[in-house]
Amino acid sequence: MALLELRDISKRFGGLQALSLVSMNIEEGMIASLIGPNGAGKTTLFNTLTGLYRPDQGEIRFQARSLVGMKPESITGAGISRTFQNIRLFGHMSVLDNVLVGMHTRLDSSLVDIFLASKKFHAGEKAARRRAHELIELTGLTGRENEWAQQLSYGEQRRLEIARALAAAPQLLLLDEPTAGMNASEAQSLMGLFKDLMGRYVKAILLIEHNMRVVMGVSDCVHVLDYGEKIAEGVPDAVRRDPRVIEAYLGTGDWLKNAQR
Amino acid sequence: MSAALVVPGLCLYIAVSCALAYIFPQSVLAFLLVEASLLLLYYVHISDRVKFLLGGLVLLVLLPVLGFSNAYYFEIAIQIGIFVALALGLNIVVGFVGLLNLGFVAFYAIGAYLWAVFGSPQANNFVPAIMGGWFPLSANWFFVFLLLSIVVGGAAGALLGLPVLRLRGDYLAIVTLGFAEVVRALVNNLDKPINLTNGPRGISPISKPPLFFKPLLEFFGIQVSDAALYPMYFYFLVLLLVCVIILVTQRLENSRVGRAWKAIREDEIAASAMGVPVVRMKLLGFAVGASFASAVGVLFAAKQVFINPESFTFMESIGVLAMVILGGMGSVPGAILGATGVTILNLQLLKGLSLWLNGLRQSGAVWSIPLLGDLSLANLPAQFEPAKYERMIFGLILILMMIFRPQGILPPKQGAKK
Amino acid sequence: MEIALEILPQVLLDGIVLGFMYALIALGYTMVYGVLEFINFAHSEIFVLGSFVGVEVLLLLQSAGLLATLHPALILLLVIVTGMTISGLAAMTLERIAYRPLMGGPRLVALISAIGASFFLQDALRLFESLWRNTFYLNYPTLDFLDRNLPITASLTIPVKSLLVIVTAILTLLGLHFFVNRTRMGMAIRAVAQDPDTASLMGVPVNRVIALTFFVGGALGGLAGVLFGIHYSLVNPYSGFVPGMKAFTAAVLGGIGNIPGAMVGGMLLGLLEAFAASYLSILTDGAFGAEYKDVVAFVVLIVILIFRPKGLLGEAVRESKA
Repeated sequence: MALLELRDISKRFGGLQALSLVSMNIEEGMIASLIGPNGAGKTTLFNTLTGLYRPDQGEIRFQARSLVGMKPESITGAGISRTFQNIRLFGHMSVLDNVLVGMHTRLDSSLVDIFLASKKFHAGEKAARRRAHELIELTGLTGRENEWAQQLSYGEQRRLEIARALAAAPQLLLLDEPTAGMNASEAQSLMGLFKDLMGRYVKAILLIEHNMRVVMGVSDCVHVLDYGEKIAEGVPDAVRRDPRVIEAYLGTGDWLKNAQR
Repeated sequence: MSAALVVPGLCLYIAVSCALAYIFPQSVLAFLLVEASLLLLYYVHISDRVKFLLGGLVLLVLLPVLGFSNAYYFEIAIQIGIFVALALGLNIVVGFVGLLNLGFVAFYAIGAYLWAVFGSPQANNFVPAIMGGWFPLSANWFFVFLLLSIVVGGAAGALLGLPVLRLRGDYLAIVTLGFAEVVRALVNNLDKPINLTNGPRGISPISKPPLFFKPLLEFFGIQVSDAALYPMYFYFLVLLLVCVIILVTQRLENSRVGRAWKAIREDEIAASAMGVPVVRMKLLGFAVGASFASAVGVLFAAKQVFINPESFTFMESIGVLAMVILGGMGSVPGAILGATGVTILNLQLLKGLSLWLNGLRQSGAVWSIPLLGDLSLANLPAQFEPAKYERMIFGLILILMMIFRPQGILPPKQGAKK
Repeated sequence: MEIALEILPQVLLDGIVLGFMYALIALGYTMVYGVLEFINFAHSEIFVLGSFVGVEVLLLLQSAGLLATLHPALILLLVIVTGMTISGLAAMTLERIAYRPLMGGPRLVALISAIGASFFLQDALRLFESLWRNTFYLNYPTLDFLDRNLPITASLTIPVKSLLVIVTAILTLLGLHFFVNRTRMGMAIRAVAQDPDTASLMGVPVNRVIALTFFVGGALGGLAGVLFGIHYSLVNPYSGFVPGMKAFTAAVLGGIGNIPGAMVGGMLLGLLEAFAASYLSILTDGAFGAEYKDVVAFVVLIVILIFRPKGLLGEAVRESKA
């Protein structure tokens, strides 16, 4: 059974049908990509998945459990975490604290533990810090732990977003344009990171990406959205040749044909 | 400066300033110098152990000695302590969670009235007569009420927070203000149909905390009158309360709760996406801040012996807010510095200035101002007294800080050690 | 029950007078909120400033001996125009000094500055009056032509003062309606309220429009201040807080940012308060009286914000994207 199952998800904003009847499965062990032109509804789908929006209709099942109507924090607790397209770090907090916030649901020290600074509290904090340092190292931010997040460079901030999302120990990681604004070599190293994460840190990744080199390089499966509808799904090579996908990206070209006639 | 010289230098400074304050008990300046020694201690680079040792020496030994020589010093130190505790509570709400609470004084009032009503004969007015004569409760109940006030204040904070915490920031600010006004109006008017609060006439006399250690003092042959003992007693109680609040705040700050609070302040949506239960954490922040204020209220009521609604106006809320902002939102040392600074400004500097001006006015001094001619101070209207213009001072603090240094004087340290 | 019916016309009249004052003040909050999404906390002091300007003008006329000789209409015009102009200019200055440097930052920063400005202005007024008149509680001089009652029916008379408030407020509100909907500058204000970025791309001078909004809102507040002073006579620097809070409640009640909403909200709140003041004691058999009218207003505010934060006519508030 699939790790995540979406069935007929629709979402409307006033007169705009942002998503209509979108269905997809994300299997365990899979890096899936979600592509489509600007405004196709990709980020809306992420927001619906993570509980920021409630779908007008449809069903979201994660590990056989329905997520519709759950709060964002509960969905994170259930094992899905995400990054944001327009970087939303906690700017006036240290890099380390940003990652530690991600572990909120994994720390179980009660208020009494905190007030009394109990053994349990110290043990939990120590383990959390150890794991945070590990994730910081994994994303190549070692040495920057005590700097404020807002002081990092753009690329570093993108990586910190990933480290923070990983801190929530997700089974499914959602990445919203992780390589946006990066140069080729930075994107290349991030692709390596995605592959390293699989199995060791997460069971599956779903990423929104515009960089086709990245999409084609890492994806096991590609889903294409256009005007809120899913128009194609399959392995990268098949999707690349799909006439509907080409049409969505480049237009029909009908006017061209007509002109030539 | 070499480290070897710092510690003796500090000791010398503390000794000289204390000696000055002791020799000139009327001098505001001398006492300010003593208070500044704590700030100095915070800034110098010496080991924490020495800092605590010297700080402890000043707070636990030297200040009490000065206080015994001049009870006014105790009064000021107690006032400072009360405002430091309030500022630390508000700092959690405004500085950590990022919610502007303009009605913080409501929780302070709740705590104060909690003890005032039951620690005075007031409660006899509404508790059925069969149980009459119970009140005032004996002084020993003070500590029970101190604990109780933490619960009641926290509950009041949560109760207010529950419906309003979903509101946007500026609306929330106005609602908290409205809440405080409602609390004040209730306190002001609930002397009928049942006399709960005695209305604008206030409540008096309120029991003081028990002098449980007096037998011990007598055992050692120390004879001190109660009147001389109480100021010192309150001084140590306030100091203890402030220390507990600082400890609790620091523990919270460095735990998942404090991190969640700051994450909410920075970006609510990202925080919830990271698994932070936003509403619950906001409620907790509201409740913790409220419980601090409420506990301080109990202490305030016991110290004042008499309280009325006048002590719990919007003005007080803004005063505490000014302290937090001046010191630096989200910074514990900042809140302490802000509260100390503003309280001293109010109690010592402005009052001193007023007295000095009145003196000049009576002596009929004349100032020559170039171009404008002579200004006879005797002609200054009697209404003009600097001490009465604290709103102007708070207002200026708020505006200037927001424009030129919104992060405050002692903002949270970046990359602070854990 | 008979008492309740007997006082009804009086209660209605009180409510309407109060309602117009709240509406005039609420417009200042709502217009500024419309263009800047910012609660101008110091607006209540702009209102009080209007009261003080009014009393100063009257006192100056009095000491010049002109109060008895000038035509009543001229006196009123002079007081109102001066009050409106100075309040409007003060609001503009305030915006320039205390708010404009902070726009673009977090909203709470500007709100805190506004609270500071409110406090500063209260004491500044007090300082000025203390130095100038050696007291800061001032009484409006009695104007004979206003201290009369107009008989409407056998049992009902209307004080000329109340009539003055009602007529002036209606004329002003009509004027404002014309200004906002029919003039170039009014349309520029609405454009900036819709979308400041696009408005600026369309060549609307956004900063000037904001300044103008503050001037108009401040002038309306100043007018309310003058009318308040004429009607209730006594003014002090701290008398703005409660009416200010209530006018803000009225603005929220009608839907903040919404100009007709402020008028509706002000009128509703004024009536509600007048009814609460008179009938609360009758309803509860004397247990709770007029002293709870402020509580009623604040409870209304809290309830509205919780259940209908966009207000009765609301939708004009731009949801800033999270």
